[in-house]
This record gives sequence, C-alpha cells and structure tokens, in this order.
Amino acid sequence: MRMSNSAVVTRNITWSGLAHSEPYEAGWAGEAVIFVRALKPGIGGAGIAHVEMSADGMNWAREGTSFPLPTSENEVTFGRVSHFGNWLRIAAEFPEGASLTVLVTLHFKS
Amino acid sequence: MPSLSHAQARQPSDAALSRFDPLPRIICLDDFDRGFCGWTQLVGNYEDSLDAMLPGYAQHSSPMLSTLSHWDIGSHGGVDGDYALKIATGPRPGAQNVTIKRLTYRRAGPIRLEAYVTFKPEANALKLSETDVRSFGFLFDLQVGDTTPGERVMPHLRFLNASSGEHVQKWQFKRQSVPIVPIGTENKTISHYHLSPDGWEDLPGGAQRLCYNEIPTKVNWHYICFDFDLSSMQCTGFRCNDRVFDMSGFDSLRLPAMKNLWCMLNLAFFAETDSGKRAFVYIDSVCLSGDF
Repeated sequence: MRMSNSAVVTRNITWSGLAHSEPYEAGWAGEAVIFVRALKPGIGGAGIAHVEMSADGMNWAREGTSFPLPTSENEVTFGRVSHFGNWLRIAAEFPEGASLTVLVTLHFKS
Repeated sequence: MPSLSHAQARQPSDAALSRFDPLPRIICLDDFDRGFCGWTQLVGNYEDSLDAMLPGYAQHSSPMLSTLSHWDIGSHGGVDGDYALKIATGPRPGAQNVTIKRLTYRRAGPIRLEAYVTFKPEANALKLSETDVRSFGFLFDLQVGDTTPGERVMPHLRFLNASSGEHVQKWQFKRQSVPIVPIGTENKTISHYHLSPDGWEDLPGGAQRLCYNEIPTKVNWHYICFDFDLSSMQCTGFRCNDRVFDMSGFDSLRLPAMKNLWCMLNLAFFAETDSGKRAFVYIDSVCLSGDF
C-alpha cells in the first residue's frame, strides 16, 4: 500500500503582499497536491501561488508550477507537483491592497 | 507501582525494542521509519469559526517526517533509520508547536513513556546557536473512566534549554491551572492553553546538561523515560539519559473531569523557540507500555 499523508501548514492566516506557507519536509513522497481554500471572501484582486522547493528549507527556488489563488469563500485551487526532492512551500503574491484568509494543505503520496 | 529499576521490565530480544525498557504490555511502538504512526497536529478547539481558536493553538502546524536534512552535511538520519518525526515552530520568539497521539486506556494502572528525541534550531546562521531553542518537552492528557470519581490530569515536563538567551538547561513541570475559556455559544466546548509560558516550576534537582554538540547541524539523540500510574494519577519516575530524577516534588495540572474525555490517554511532544529562528524537535521513536 502506498503511504499517504495530509498536512495543514497554514490555517486561518490572512495573507497579503508576498507571503509563504511554512516549510515542509516530505522527502519520502513522490508526489504532492497543494490545496488552498479561501476561508473568507478575498479582498481586492486575485493572488497567485508559486510552488517553491529547497535543498535546505532556508533557500528557495521556484519549482515552475503556479496556480491562481481563490477569491470567494470556500473556493479551492490547487497545484500538483512531483520530483520535488524534500522541502516544499508556496509563495503567494497579491496585488496591492488585496488579501486572503487561507487554509493551505499539502497532500502527499509515496 | 512501577519503579525506575528496569530489572522488572521485559528484556526484549528484537532490535526495535531492545533500546527500550518497556513494561510488560506494549501499547504502541512508534518508529517513524514506518510513517507517522498516528501522531498528528494538536489543533485548538473551535465552534462556528476558526477565529474562536486560542492564539496558542492557532500557530500549530502538522508534524513531518524528516531525515534531519542540513545544508552542510545532508541528511543526518535517525537512531537506526532514515526518518524521524519533526515538529517545527514558527520563526518568532516564543512560538510553539505540538504533536499528539490520541488513545484511551484499558486499565488504570502503570504506564511508561519512552522516547529518543533531540532538538535543534534552524541552522540559518554560522553560529553554535545553543540558546535559540527555548524548550522541548512532553505531556500526557489523561482522564478517569466514566464510572470512576476523579479528574482530568495533565502531567507536563519540559527541558528549559534557554530563556532570553541564557543557557538554562533544567527540567520543569507545570501544575498551575491556566484559565479555561468557553468556546462558542452552545456550552459544549472549552479551551485552555496549558503550554503557555506561565506557571512552570523547577523540578527539584532537575538541572541537566544535555549533549548539544559543536555546530547546529550535529545531532545527538537523548533517551527519556517517564512513568505514571493511572490509578493514583501520580508520576512515579523520570529519567533522561544517565540521570534518574526524584519526582517526589512533581505534580500535574489538574482539572475537573470533562464530559467527553473518559479514559482519555493522549501523549504529546512540544517545541518552543527562544529566538527568531524556527525550533525543531525530532522524535526518532516512541514506546508506550503498560503493566497489564
């Protein structure tokens, strides 16, 4: 049976400007889906999320996957990644004046 | 009563158990090379809105499986395998995180928690950084059975590594209750942040200098063993590495029994940072055993 795990890394935090989810290690996993759910209606324009990976959890590079962040309450968006090594996070960028209260969850399979 | 004389404990022949001194019944043997083994995030209570969650709990995030990967040496690995369970705080002084396993008990008798653990700060400075982690520790969250008069009892122990940059290095316990906050409007849920910085007391004779090593990416594992009697709801012993502590001055945080928590047997580990760096607590393996 393949191993699977869901991790909640950012919960009920309001993001604006440039924001990041907390670093998460999952070297055991071969694939990941990163979900972002809007817990409240977004304010201002829509943001965008960029998946980032890292060799050490401190220095980050864009993995190449980007996806729009939700704007309405309970809307969900996601990105899929594989072959990411060990450390993962998302970087979120918002237009000036925009903000979003998010639930960021990572879902892994070996 | 169990004692810290391990002569009565089972002498297991297999390698996974041979580094523990369990009581006769293995309740769980969690080696994180096998996965998360039922350890999860301690989430705070809420009703109707997540905004009701106390700030202490709101900061918690999920544990992860780590190879103790570092920028300068690569993966450190565990005691006997690749993975350890890791909890990470946020990068803010005083930030905390907790991982928990939730069980109930079959018999109110002696139990023993053993684990191999270690702690380190995020290695983002070329410094020893030995005072960046404020504390690591563990707790039980226990309640009597539904036909037994008694209480909810929460024994806490933490190793206060540093405080405001001072390298303190001593064990502390907590028996002072913290405010209970009603959550929501239906009178069904409460919350209390029992890991708040207030109310910790020094364990008498509890100073201990643990191996930290010479740079923040060299890691040594520590053995802990904590004995508790579920019938008397009293701690009966504690050791860390070569030190056996006198627990006669120890007591637990005690609350009135709650209506949904009968026979609860929760165990948790926590981390707290003293600096603006993330604090990491790694757990290689946990053995919970009982005398039944």
